[in-house]
Amino acid sequence: MGDEFTVWRIFVNLLVATKWTIILSIIAFVFGGIVGFLVMLMRISPLKPLRFLSWIYVEFFEGTPLLLQLFLAFFGISVVFGVNLSPLAAATLALTAFTSSFLADIWRGAVEALPKGQWEASSALGFGYFKKLRYIILPQAVKLSIAPTVGFLVQVIKGTSLASVIGFTEVTRAASQINNVTLQSLLVFAIAGAIYFLLCYPLSVWSQQVEQRLNQQA
Amino acid sequence: MFPKKFRTAIVLFFASLFLAVGVNACSTPSVKSVKVDTSAVALNLPGAPSPGTALEEIVKRGEIKIAVPDDFPPFGSIGADMNVRGYDIDVANQVAKAMGVKLDLIPVIGNYRIPFLQTNRVDLVISSLGKNKDREKIISFSIPYAPFYSGIYGSETLAAKSYADLQGKTVGVAQGSLEDLELAKNLTEGNVQNVTVKRFANNSLTASALVSGQVELIATGNVVANKLIKDNPDQRIKNQFVMKNSPCYVGLRKGDTKLQDKVNEILKTLRQDGELDKFAQKWFGEPLGDLPAA
Repeated sequence: MGDEFTVWRIFVNLLVATKWTIILSIIAFVFGGIVGFLVMLMRISPLKPLRFLSWIYVEFFEGTPLLLQLFLAFFGISVVFGVNLSPLAAATLALTAFTSSFLADIWRGAVEALPKGQWEASSALGFGYFKKLRYIILPQAVKLSIAPTVGFLVQVIKGTSLASVIGFTEVTRAASQINNVTLQSLLVFAIAGAIYFLLCYPLSVWSQQVEQRLNQQA
Repeated sequence: MFPKKFRTAIVLFFASLFLAVGVNACSTPSVKSVKVDTSAVALNLPGAPSPGTALEEIVKRGEIKIAVPDDFPPFGSIGADMNVRGYDIDVANQVAKAMGVKLDLIPVIGNYRIPFLQTNRVDLVISSLGKNKDREKIISFSIPYAPFYSGIYGSETLAAKSYADLQGKTVGVAQGSLEDLELAKNLTEGNVQNVTVKRFANNSLTASALVSGQVELIATGNVVANKLIKDNPDQRIKNQFVMKNSPCYVGLRKGDTKLQDKVNEILKTLRQDGELDKFAQKWFGEPLGDLPAA
């Protein structure tokens, strides 16, 4: 391995750093999706206290920047509770909170976009609350929510670059490290940009296909 | 579900609550502590069972965690293999070696050096850390370990030995930089007339202005200047005089006095043995120079 930053080496180093971008994105998708689904159920619940709690949760995490959430999870928890979270634990916490609050709101919107008649009709069929959700409401809501969900996930992929403040060397951080040595900003950031594009674009294409398939089924 | 005003009120309430918690946690010294000064903040943070035991902890652990820069050459930057290297990393290695423990390098973005130290994520900060009054309130410093100074640079034929010698000259400086302020202050105080100060957007533009002959002299930091000197040997650029000496120090938590003594002792030895000088030659391309003793 040479000591020079050739274009190839820059590319390979950025690709290695892409590992963290992908891991952090997957953490955000999986945990954010699970928690977001539960929060969404609370948001559309007939029980007022659940609606209220989930509303606070969503408003707080939607209304504060991800950078601040990462900072609070990493340094804030240390100062207030005296517990030092590892960078991965802190990133998981912040990314989950951030992603779940947005997904909960997107999915709530999709559920509420359905005509009231759907609920009423399923009541008329004698379905219980969860049966209504499972067989009538959610399948229709999923179709409506795909485009905004994927749009938001693409934002999350790019948002993982903020995790560099707590010590992750993901694509953006690696690019800035390499740039500080090679001073070839245009080249380095163009490669980094291309990597982000290659991560995000397939997601968009895939979402369009899924949407089409669901539309055909309907 | 709720009237709109009520919602707004709740949001504001929570926002202020979080702010208050944050501000309190950051600024108020622990209520329990009798000695109320800001250093108490550092002492009551997690991971530090009792202040001042950092040295014992390190020896027990057999490992020292040191925060280093990874995007600030030549102090610390990444090589083609993505490993950090630089003056600070060499010094960190020597410190760990002298203490007989393993080294755990933690690359940290400049702005977060001190929070990493305060929350016990690292034992030492060796990251081109300068000393100032605000920092001295929250952390301790070792003796200086690296040269960092601003100077006037230009062709060796010019021989400007002081601010007064700048009369009639054109001096380039990066706008708003430390050197810009220092230069303006000294020219005014010394009542030096007839100096044309040209301000550039950043250090590299300032450097190119000197090379291209737009200015006769530039005011800049030694690190920038040394790279310039190395890259343009035919220009015979040299340091005319030092404007301000602001060397780098190792940062420690307040109260870790035993560790501080140990680090100071190690740095002194490294300096006497010429190790620091060797590193300075290797990374800055100049001798250690007149690094202040404390």
